[in-house]
Amino acid sequence: MRVKQPDYPTLAAAVCVCMFLGALPLGAHHAFAAEFDAKKPVRLEGKVTQMEWINPHAWIHIDVAGPDGKVTNWMVECGPPGVLLRRGFTKNSLESGTEVIALGYQAKDGGFRANASTITFKDGRRLFAGGSNPDLPENQGKQ
Amino acid sequence: MPIYKYRCKHSADGFDCGLRRSELAKFIFLVGVAGAMAIPSPGQSAPSAKPKSGAPAAVARNWTPPKTAWGDPDLQGMWPNTDLLGVPLQRDPKMGTRALLTDAEYAQREARAKRSDEGLNQKYDKLDGPVSTGSPIWWIEHGRPTRQASLIVDPPDGRIPPLTPEAIKLAEARDAKFHLTYGAERKATGSNETWIDDVLALEDSYDSNIYDRCITRGLIGSILPGEPGGYNQGNQIIQAPGVVVLRNEMIHEARVIPLDGRPHVGLSVRTYMGDSRGHWEGSTLVVETTNFLGGQVGLKSNGAGTPYSDALVITERFTRVAPDTINYEALLNDPKTYVRPWKVAFPLHESPNYQMVEYSCHEGNYALMGILRGSFAERKAAEEKAADAKADARKAAQ
Repeated sequence: MRVKQPDYPTLAAAVCVCMFLGALPLGAHHAFAAEFDAKKPVRLEGKVTQMEWINPHAWIHIDVAGPDGKVTNWMVECGPPGVLLRRGFTKNSLESGTEVIALGYQAKDGGFRANASTITFKDGRRLFAGGSNPDLPENQGKQ
Repeated sequence: MPIYKYRCKHSADGFDCGLRRSELAKFIFLVGVAGAMAIPSPGQSAPSAKPKSGAPAAVARNWTPPKTAWGDPDLQGMWPNTDLLGVPLQRDPKMGTRALLTDAEYAQREARAKRSDEGLNQKYDKLDGPVSTGSPIWWIEHGRPTRQASLIVDPPDGRIPPLTPEAIKLAEARDAKFHLTYGAERKATGSNETWIDDVLALEDSYDSNIYDRCITRGLIGSILPGEPGGYNQGNQIIQAPGVVVLRNEMIHEARVIPLDGRPHVGLSVRTYMGDSRGHWEGSTLVVETTNFLGGQVGLKSNGAGTPYSDALVITERFTRVAPDTINYEALLNDPKTYVRPWKVAFPLHESPNYQMVEYSCHEGNYALMGILRGSFAERKAAEEKAADAKADARKAAQ
């Protein structure tokens, strides 16, 4: 059996980065470290080919061209459909062909899957902006 | 009728997935109940008594809780726990027996939530900079921060009581099985947790915790605010004569609680969510749950933490103290695992606009596959490194 211990320096760095970005330092449904590699940051720029509207997490598929022009289809993990719906999005909100940039980390096995802390349009606007708290005045009447 | 579930193992040929028979009768039953209960909850039209400053909920004076048409206290509605996001289960030891944050501590918690909200709507200008490995802020759903210092209110220091010698032995066996170092951490920090959520050395999908496997977060883990996670935190209470149904959005639980005084089912019937029986004490709903399947789920958010035993009894109390506030508390008594009972307590605030969405968790649970692939990739890399080291040593000896 393989020996695996928590990577404390990476975890500490992650917490620092979270605090820097103003995010709550929380994990996902599953532990980041079990699936993704903090030493493999990726920047994925390309066109959306599919939005998989499934639980426990939605996944966006993006065609990304490499330096040699070869196109690879990447899967990028998103929040659960429930969260996206409460933010006012539906499975049809993101059209195929939309150009996006995802910043995150590649899967540990080297597959073309990534988590993404940040997904934006090309000009930096957040893809999934908007609040989810229905009690806040700005979200009244949204659902 | 046989029900099948997916199981994957590491084999000499790589990644081997097959279908195995398993009983999921409970799942079918709960899906049926959830479907039958998919009705909108009646909203409350009374003015909000929800504290605006993060202060704990107080009992509203001269206020009589509403009754259902058949005369029971009416607890029905949507009660997400989003306000509690960021409140730790255990209190910072430095705070001692202080149950509430100071003004400065509360300001920090409030500022963090505000930064998170504002960040969502700001343009992101570091499109090639480092990003967080934590939950993206757009996954997280939080309400108004509270002043509560910890979810545990008893013992008075807000900490999980010490483990029994029997529980320590079980925890050490688990550490040994997965080559973990949490035993040392337990001793160093007194955390009394075995971190059931963080097992990374997986042999097959059954080594993954039941949350990653989309089964359940356990009874108490289903109602505690989601950390880690912080989303899908809806709770709904629905009543009918002689029965209360408690729905938790994560992971689409629907607990049907009889109020007719019937005894618990026999001791041979054990489930993740246990067997609940309820009764009224004045306007308080008291629910006692027994018959837990021990050793599977922890008493913490997301079913993590130290696994409990089959001796666990959870006694919950739901008291509507204002039109939009239920004071919730749960006494956790597991003499095989903890040297004394302990209690969590917090207010739940009604949010009539909150929409629960079916969390069909295993619908596309790619994460389980990804976690296993990650585990196998790491093991393969370690094996290759060991083989290289052996070859180098052989060369050096020649």
